[in-house]
Amino acid sequence: MSNTRCHVLVCTGAGCVASGALEVEAALREAIEKKGLTREVSVVPTGCLGPCAVGPVAAIYPDGVFYQELTPEDAPEIVEEHLLKGRVVERLVHKEAADGRAVESMEKIDFFRRQHKNVLRNCGVIDPQKIEEYIARDGYQSAAKVLAEMTPEEVVVVMKQAGLRGRGGAGFPTWLKWDLTRKAAADRKFVLCNADEGDPGAFMDRSLLEGDPHSVIEGMIIAAYAVGAHEGFVYVRAEYPLAVERLTTALNQAREYGLLGTDILGSGFDLDIEIRMGAGAFVCGEETALMTSIEGKRGEPRPRPPYPANEGLWGKPSLLNNVETYGNVPLIFLRGAEWYASLGTKKSKGTKIFALAGAVKNTGLVEVPIGTPLGEIIFDIGGGVPGGKNFKAAQIGGPSGGCIPKQHLNVPVDYESLTELGAIMGSGGLIVMDEDSCMVDVARFFLEFVQHESCGKCPPCRIGTKRMLEILDRICAGKGEEGDVERLIELGNSIKDTALCGLGQTAPNPVLSTIRHFRDEYDAHIREKRCPAGVCPELVRAPCQNACPAGVDVPGFVSLIGEKRYAEALRLHRETNPFASVCARVCFHTCEEKCRRCMIDEAVGIRQLKRFMVEQEVTVQLPEVRDSEENAQRKVGIVGAGPAGLSCAYFLARLGYRPRVFEAEPRPGGMLVQAIPAYRLPREELAREVRMIERLGVEIETGVRLGADFTLESLRREGYEAVFLGVGAPRGIRLNIPGEDAEGVTEAMDFLRNYNIRGSVPVGRNVAIIGGGNAAIDAARTAVRLGARTVTILYRRTRAEMPAYVEEVEGAEQEGVLLECLVAPTEIAIENGRAIGVKCRRMQLGEFDRSGRRRPRAGGNGEVLFRADQVITAIGQSLHPQDFLNGTPVELNELGFINATAAAGRTTVDWVFAGGDAVTGPGSVVQAIAAGEKAAVAIDEFLTGESHAFWRLARKVDTFFDPNADPVDYPRSRIRRIPVERRRNNFTEVELPWRESTALREAKRCLRCDYRTE
Amino acid sequence: MATLTIDGIQVEARNGTTILQAARKAGVRIPTLCYLEDVQAIGACRVCLVEVEKARTLVASCVTPVAEGMVVHTNSKRVRAARRTVVELLLSDHDGDCQTCDRNDDCELQSLARELGIRDITYAGEKSKGTRDTSTPALVRDTGKCILCRRCVAVCGEIQGVAAMFPQSRGFDTVVGPAFANDLDTVTCVQCGQCAAVCPVGAISEHDQIDEVWAALDDPDKHVVVQTAPAIRAALGECFGYKPGTLVTGKMVSALRRLGFDAVFDTNFAADLTIMEEGTELLTRLKKALVDHEEVALPQFTSCSPGWIKYIEYFYPDMLDNVSTCKSPQQMFGAVAKTYYAEKIGKRPEDIFVVSIMPCTAKKFEAQRSEMTDSGVRDVDVVLTTRELGRMVKQAGIDFPSLPDDEMDAPIGMSSGAADIFANTGGVMEAALRTAYEIVTGKELPFADLHVKPIVGLAGVKEAAVEITETVPEWDFLKGATLNVAVAHGLGNARKVIERIRAGEAEYHFVEVMACPGGCIGGGGQPRLTTDAVRKARIRAIYKEDEGKQLRKSHENPEIKQIYEEFLGAPLGEKSHHLLHTHYTKRERA
Repeated sequence: MSNTRCHVLVCTGAGCVASGALEVEAALREAIEKKGLTREVSVVPTGCLGPCAVGPVAAIYPDGVFYQELTPEDAPEIVEEHLLKGRVVERLVHKEAADGRAVESMEKIDFFRRQHKNVLRNCGVIDPQKIEEYIARDGYQSAAKVLAEMTPEEVVVVMKQAGLRGRGGAGFPTWLKWDLTRKAAADRKFVLCNADEGDPGAFMDRSLLEGDPHSVIEGMIIAAYAVGAHEGFVYVRAEYPLAVERLTTALNQAREYGLLGTDILGSGFDLDIEIRMGAGAFVCGEETALMTSIEGKRGEPRPRPPYPANEGLWGKPSLLNNVETYGNVPLIFLRGAEWYASLGTKKSKGTKIFALAGAVKNTGLVEVPIGTPLGEIIFDIGGGVPGGKNFKAAQIGGPSGGCIPKQHLNVPVDYESLTELGAIMGSGGLIVMDEDSCMVDVARFFLEFVQHESCGKCPPCRIGTKRMLEILDRICAGKGEEGDVERLIELGNSIKDTALCGLGQTAPNPVLSTIRHFRDEYDAHIREKRCPAGVCPELVRAPCQNACPAGVDVPGFVSLIGEKRYAEALRLHRETNPFASVCARVCFHTCEEKCRRCMIDEAVGIRQLKRFMVEQEVTVQLPEVRDSEENAQRKVGIVGAGPAGLSCAYFLARLGYRPRVFEAEPRPGGMLVQAIPAYRLPREELAREVRMIERLGVEIETGVRLGADFTLESLRREGYEAVFLGVGAPRGIRLNIPGEDAEGVTEAMDFLRNYNIRGSVPVGRNVAIIGGGNAAIDAARTAVRLGARTVTILYRRTRAEMPAYVEEVEGAEQEGVLLECLVAPTEIAIENGRAIGVKCRRMQLGEFDRSGRRRPRAGGNGEVLFRADQVITAIGQSLHPQDFLNGTPVELNELGFINATAAAGRTTVDWVFAGGDAVTGPGSVVQAIAAGEKAAVAIDEFLTGESHAFWRLARKVDTFFDPNADPVDYPRSRIRRIPVERRRNNFTEVELPWRESTALREAKRCLRCDYRTE
Repeated sequence: MATLTIDGIQVEARNGTTILQAARKAGVRIPTLCYLEDVQAIGACRVCLVEVEKARTLVASCVTPVAEGMVVHTNSKRVRAARRTVVELLLSDHDGDCQTCDRNDDCELQSLARELGIRDITYAGEKSKGTRDTSTPALVRDTGKCILCRRCVAVCGEIQGVAAMFPQSRGFDTVVGPAFANDLDTVTCVQCGQCAAVCPVGAISEHDQIDEVWAALDDPDKHVVVQTAPAIRAALGECFGYKPGTLVTGKMVSALRRLGFDAVFDTNFAADLTIMEEGTELLTRLKKALVDHEEVALPQFTSCSPGWIKYIEYFYPDMLDNVSTCKSPQQMFGAVAKTYYAEKIGKRPEDIFVVSIMPCTAKKFEAQRSEMTDSGVRDVDVVLTTRELGRMVKQAGIDFPSLPDDEMDAPIGMSSGAADIFANTGGVMEAALRTAYEIVTGKELPFADLHVKPIVGLAGVKEAAVEITETVPEWDFLKGATLNVAVAHGLGNARKVIERIRAGEAEYHFVEVMACPGGCIGGGGQPRLTTDAVRKARIRAIYKEDEGKQLRKSHENPEIKQIYEEFLGAPLGEKSHHLLHTHYTKRERA
């Protein structure tokens, strides 16, 4: 035997094999041979290394370099560069999910670094087909020790001290199961291994069998000895051919080495283990069904008791444990129960393997101590959600499990904590879902799975889950009825209580847990016939349109632009959103975030197309108005001329009403004019659309303030039949730190309003801005334009958590604004009564808060002072309803905003409606516009008893589309902006419109998701 | 013993008994559906759920053993709601056309729904696509009505050992039926109808032929005669609310007459005839074996039960020579009615229409066998089950309880007590022994009341040894011999006997097999539901009928003597051979 200087470990787990690992292995061997390195370098096919999504993967030792996404063509380069010349092939090493940084060493890669590989200790390290390699890693030492030195009772005692719990899902104490089986008197006993892994997305058992089969065999030997069994079966699904093959090899080797068979290691103990292949029925993972299947019958569960420990396989006492459970056993005896019990939590010891899948950057197999917070697994090891999307929920525990929402990212992943949240540990399937997952659809998916996999024996599972599925189908199709959710809950709970086996008893979990955590999504489907995530096909015409709060027909106007039918495009836009020109500039464009073109390259530039479209308008065209003399007589008052109020007025006017708008400030526009600076939204553009609304018969009275100049009751007395409150959330929130009232400290809303409405505001030389939202950025960029020398934004979390729009943050940075993240203000430093800076504490990110973001907590570096002669606070906005309600019983919510329904803006007073920031707190313009529209429809319904919202009916756009043509292949056109150096000291609009040729090209990038074949 | 509390009542129960059994003992009624005493306890239907304090979920009382200190609630709010949901779910997937269902008013699901006060179905939805299987002459399966309780699976697989049906597919698509959802005639179904007898709903029933009988009765050119099997008289009353085991022979005859049958006869006559033929056949076999030293198949198996015949044709075709060549009484009757009786009344066989009233669905199959046409036409035209006769009587508007008693017609209406007991397991054997023993020894069978005690009752396999200490000269070769006989009922028990014979573990001369548990009184065509208690009651009634007869032995029946004298000649003679004996078919197992 020669000593090789270098080992190339090629993962040959099923995942990597599927992506071509065997070809890579062959190519490496060939290249090594070509270079004459055969004696120096050995190639070792190993089990799963973990990061399956980037397979085929390989690790080169002793250097510990990890290569990923290998192809056979890469082999010569690796051999030439790395093995021969000692240079790491940079392009093939791992790139960190968080920042794209290339990391050579496996030890330094987040994905590996934060794991705790116990059960998987040999996976990816040894050749699973060579028993010698297992033995070299202390394999079979535990079995030898147990057989030679311990009594079965002592074995059970050690297991009890170790505190291992069943890894199959329910977490039953393993020692207790062993003890019960040990104590059962019988002439024959069995030791069984459950390798019928069936949860969608779970593959830890398969990987362990493929990567380290001997550890499972050793675990079974120890278990068999403890319970007194001499026959064993591994029940593995036939869909795992590689696992079966490697296990077969391992069993043969163990027999050859005298580790199985009669008189094992001279101990007098006999055991043989056979493989039984299952045909892939999920229910056969249930213990009694598994045994029935081994007996050769239809795999169906039977009632317990009797429990398998007393009457199992062929009526004999049988010990059944899961693959991973057995995988833990050798370690317990190798390193001791005390060591083992030091891992995990008080009630759950050791580590657990999870199959991380779904919307997470690093998918694959991870092993962590039990009790690790869910967020750490997903973000620190998994690298978080790809594509800039938001984390929504983690589905844990397979079809019997449940969904855990972002509010609970801190949950320690252990048996009890998960159960409390309506999920289960299960076998460890962990599917991460982002904002694009519809939770109703997710529930439906899992329920459909269990419905198909139900053995059909008992009615609750066979028929009950079918009925639940039918209700979910109905909800997803937009045919849900009021009471459906209650029916699901009732039936689900009933099934849990009445079904025969674990499959049925847990089948409703995905539904019940999504209802528990995402009830609003169910309600949106049922009440608004809307799928917020844009998934359910019957409810979603196109994802962009679905994502638009105002429901703008995006594919419609984009395709009309593509045909140069600009006026028609704009008219279509204004069917559901009057503020085309405003939104072309300031909209947060969720449409683009949901654009399916992202799957090819990048989203269609919808907002820029809109900008181009509005630029083509010469004279403002009025939308369709349905005149009504009756409606014209009715008095409707609208308080607040912001986007919500004006939108409400616009839609009422189109129904023939003549609403009157009362505005406290001297100019209409609300936040559009008070807060949003002119470099983003030129004043004339806003004025143009306000004028359009006025021309529909809307009267706007400025300079009249609710609560001061008039009241709701006074409007009522004057004959107003309905009133819409669109008063916004115009007041800032106090920091509540010392020094806040010093001179030089101002609030962002006051700062912006003063400049925008009154035309001037004092600006410091060095300005510090506290906060990370849009108001902070607007204030910062305004300060830059007004001549501040330095502008620094102080934010307590990191840039990734900033609520401000990314483009705005980037714009601010380009203009020289400094970002100081992870700093929390503790005091405004004062000299002579004037602010001279902000004292801050350095922060670091801690555990996850209810918003799913990491909560900042005090870091190590003590306090720091940011010098500034002006401090602008921008940490949120509030409503002061006591200033204007004057006793009208309009209820408020717990955050102090007006309590109004999302679907109709109804308040607790039947003639008072509300929408926009006054209801939701600071939101986006288009959300306010949508709220105005909804309230308009509701007011009309309130006044006439029926709905006349003709604009809501879908229009067919007659633009041409060839569904068979390939999508155009050019990328998204860039946004044009005026150069940074020309932005100082002026408020000229920063963004420039596209030229026609650019716009026409861009419009063609739309995939026309709205297209339907008749 | 364990002490537990059920609904506040302290109950003592043996360890190993179930909550259901303990509750019944305590007078607490827990509704059940899939449960079938002595046949099936699998906890599948979830109707018998009860709440056990400290248990995580509700438990099925039919399978949960009692435990010391257990506190059980059978009627808590939780239990009531769960039961109701389960039954509502079953109803939601049930093709519930109650008004036109033959189980209307006799349906366990219907009763359960009524009992639980279900007035609407909260969770309505798609129903399983039902298929009707009419491939066999005996049975009709309607999967749309099947509630997957699996009683049929248990009785077919475990009691009968046939396993023609089992659950297939998964989830909502699960069905119970023959392999690959094929029709019954593609598998080894013996058409015994035990599945139909245990079906709680209208999913498996006899193939209803009432209208064919009405058509014959309405045809002025047909002389319609009816024969009633021995087991009918002890069960028909149940169709009209009588307790199981009530003998209604006289009312039955009256009812048949009122239905318009031209003559009412008794299959029992043919049973006596069977004894003459089959007893002689046995003695002949014994003589051939012992005196002539010929190769002869022993033991001889009885051949009255058509389900058994089909079973052995499928499963032990190499043993068909052991089966008596005698036709069953039903078929003997048909052959005789269309020849002997036809001649007597001056009619052609084709003008006579023979209807059988049988406790059995397999008889419908038997009557259609191609070999059963020895009269020149089909010997038996239509077979009705006891249940069908009950319905027919109701259709005719006959008030059964108020009917007067009447008597069978001659010349093929008279019978002995030996014929009556053909209805019971052990009965054919006893009847045969009564005659054969007397023929051989010249003495009456030496058992109290002529009942061969060891083969009476519901034990699955029964054995008896009859010593022959002295003989009449003709049979002196049997002097000192011991006749070993065995009786099996239920095909699973028949299999046990056959396997013992084949393994050389038992040597018998004569073996009685009846396909159905309890014999014909527990036949697949009898009023539902046949439990062991019902079987016992019917058996008692049959023995009572036998004991009340003047004639107790077949060979003493004067009409039997008459037919041999006038028509047949001697048992196993040429005419008998032609009309009363048959042959069997080796059937392949699919």
